Amino acid sequence: MTTPARETVLHAENLSRVYGEGNMRVEALKPTSFAARAGEVMAILGPSGSGKSTLLTILGLINPPTTGSLRIGNVQVIENGQPRTSLERQRRQQIGFVFQRSNLIPFLTAHENVRLSLELDGVSSSESRGRARAMLENLGLGKRLDSLPARLSGGEAQRVAIARALIHQPSVVLADEPTASLDSGRGRQVMELFRDAAHSQGAAVLVVTHDHRTLDLVDRILEMEDGTLTERASAGTGAHT
Amino acid sequence: MMDLAVRDIRHDLGRFVLTALGLGMLLSVVLAMTGIYNGMVVDATVLPDTLGADLWVVQRDTKGPFAESSRVPLRLAERLRAVPGVSRTRGYVSFNVQESGPDGKVQRFMLAGLSWPDDTGDRLQLAQGRPLRAPHYEIVADASLGLPLSTQLRIGRDLFTVVGVTSGMVSSGGDPILFVSVADALNIQNDLSNEALRLEGEARLARIRRSEYGRDPASLARAGQPGLPALTPPPVNAVLVDLEPGQDAAGVRERLEQWPDISVYTLDEQRGLLVRGVIDRARRQIGLFRALLVAISAIVMGLIVYTMTLDKMHSLALLKLLGARRRVILRLILEQSLLLGLLSFFVALLIGELLFGQFPRRVLVADGDRLSLAAVVAGISVAAGVVGLRKAMTADPNQVLAS
Ligand SMILES: Nc1ncnc2c1ncn2[C@@H]1O[C@H](COP(=O)(O)OP(=O)(O)OP(=O)(O)O)[C@@H](O)[C@H]1O
Ligand SMILES: [Mg+2]
Repeated sequence: MTTPARETVLHAENLSRVYGEGNMRVEALKPTSFAARAGEVMAILGPSGSGKSTLLTILGLINPPTTGSLRIGNVQVIENGQPRTSLERQRRQQIGFVFQRSNLIPFLTAHENVRLSLELDGVSSSESRGRARAMLENLGLGKRLDSLPARLSGGEAQRVAIARALIHQPSVVLADEPTASLDSGRGRQVMELFRDAAHSQGAAVLVVTHDHRTLDLVDRILEMEDGTLTERASAGTGAHT
Repeated sequence: MMDLAVRDIRHDLGRFVLTALGLGMLLSVVLAMTGIYNGMVVDATVLPDTLGADLWVVQRDTKGPFAESSRVPLRLAERLRAVPGVSRTRGYVSFNVQESGPDGKVQRFMLAGLSWPDDTGDRLQLAQGRPLRAPHYEIVADASLGLPLSTQLRIGRDLFTVVGVTSGMVSSGGDPILFVSVADALNIQNDLSNEALRLEGEARLARIRRSEYGRDPASLARAGQPGLPALTPPPVNAVLVDLEPGQDAAGVRERLEQWPDISVYTLDEQRGLLVRGVIDRARRQIGLFRALLVAISAIVMGLIVYTMTLDKMHSLALLKLLGARRRVILRLILEQSLLLGLLSFFVALLIGELLFGQFPRRVLVADGDRLSLAAVVAGISVAAGVVGLRKAMTADPNQVLAS
């Protein structure tokens, strides 16, 4: 896929999310619009309970927004709060997820966990084997292909999770505090991986993070406060190609 | 698509195999119940089937020796032989004996008479030895009595020798059968144990003393001796009638039914009587027990599959998050349930193969029974799979983020 670096791969318009009703009503995400381009790495900062995860689950098509529209890649996925297509299929094809804990499937090896992303979308196992192996070797995990997640270190497991999130060349990669359980060195490695992937695959990467030490690696910084998203004027030193 | 079910099982193979073993044992009991019932049906009719007579002639208005007491004179055999169409007649006598062996263990068996010399037991399926070759003091015993060839055995007042060993010859009650000649059987039946004879002799003496004969010392001395000759030969229980080839059993039977002192049954009627008498209640009993076991197996399996699903909820939520289609999850759960059922089924078959032969009574499992167990297990597996699936469908991708 040769995506021009400047193509918009994520377009959110007036996305909002309200939980509960009456007294219990929480406006977790106030109407929010923004766009992300291919190859961009964006950090989302904000205090606990500000709505970062809420935004991520909406962008990740896990939860529907209360209002708003969302386009991912070339697909208008949600329009005026209503799904326009199979969200399941869009998740398979267009989105990659990484979480705080690695969240690998415990009964699958590293290699199988990565293959899974491809095979869930119908890629033949012979093809998925080769691609997953190449990806893992690329991430320095060539010797850990057949290890079960329980046998991997935290950093290794997180790299496998990243491989799984990238292997199917999604338009958008969403990460919720992916470095929280890693020491600063490994946290930095993970952010570098995201940046390389964004550049080489032409994906937009959105990372929710509390880790200010890695902000120099991102292109844009968004701040969430009480459900409102604002962009910090001065971006990091992350270089565009 | 890689096989997630197998990979998950492999991850905790020990638990899966152990579970299948337990479930297999449960299923083997279901199979045993079927086999025991089948065995009872075969056991119930093995004696008349082996004797193989066309007609059973019994005491008038009785249902024959398998249902109630039936007595006909042995001479009836000669009268019947004169009937046109009859090729052979045999006296039949059988009764249950309970004896304590030398080791004090109580042994029950049935003693059946073979009508020497017409019937030497050559139709018996002999596992060892030979049929009767003499009119007296020879036994063909069933293997389950544990009497090897040439064993000397005292029954009543005489010493018998085991000359042949059958296998699987049991009465409808499941007791092993011991064959002797009809003459010997009648002797044993009418000559009771020495102790009984002594008591009977004393009772007779007392009776005579009270009568006017009691004044005659000679008749007193005679009366004290055991084994006074009977006035008439003792009766047998039935006469077996074989017909000439091509003879119509119904016709002969109709003619015989005119006789005032006998009732006549075909072999099938005797078998029907045995099956109904012995089997009917057992069938309901075993049927209910089997249904209960199947229900228990279904519940246990449902619980196991439910637990297996519960252990995977996080993985299932993750699979959904990654956009897995419904059928990926459906296949994972159902396949595991069916694999568990399959393995349990084979464990049950294996246990049956290894163990059912050791049961004291016949356990007969036919291919059809295995097939219907397979169908039952398949049904249980699918039902258990549905239980698991209902749980699996509640897995929520949000759980992955919350954790
Ligand atoms: N399912 C829900 N039902 C009701 N309220 C919810 C639900 N999920 C989140 N909220 C509320 O929405 C607000 C935003 O929550 P969210 O999880 O998005 O915050 P966050 O920025 O990710 O916080 P953290 O940094 O602690 O992960 C919070 O007030 C939270 O209580
Ligand atoms: Mg959060």
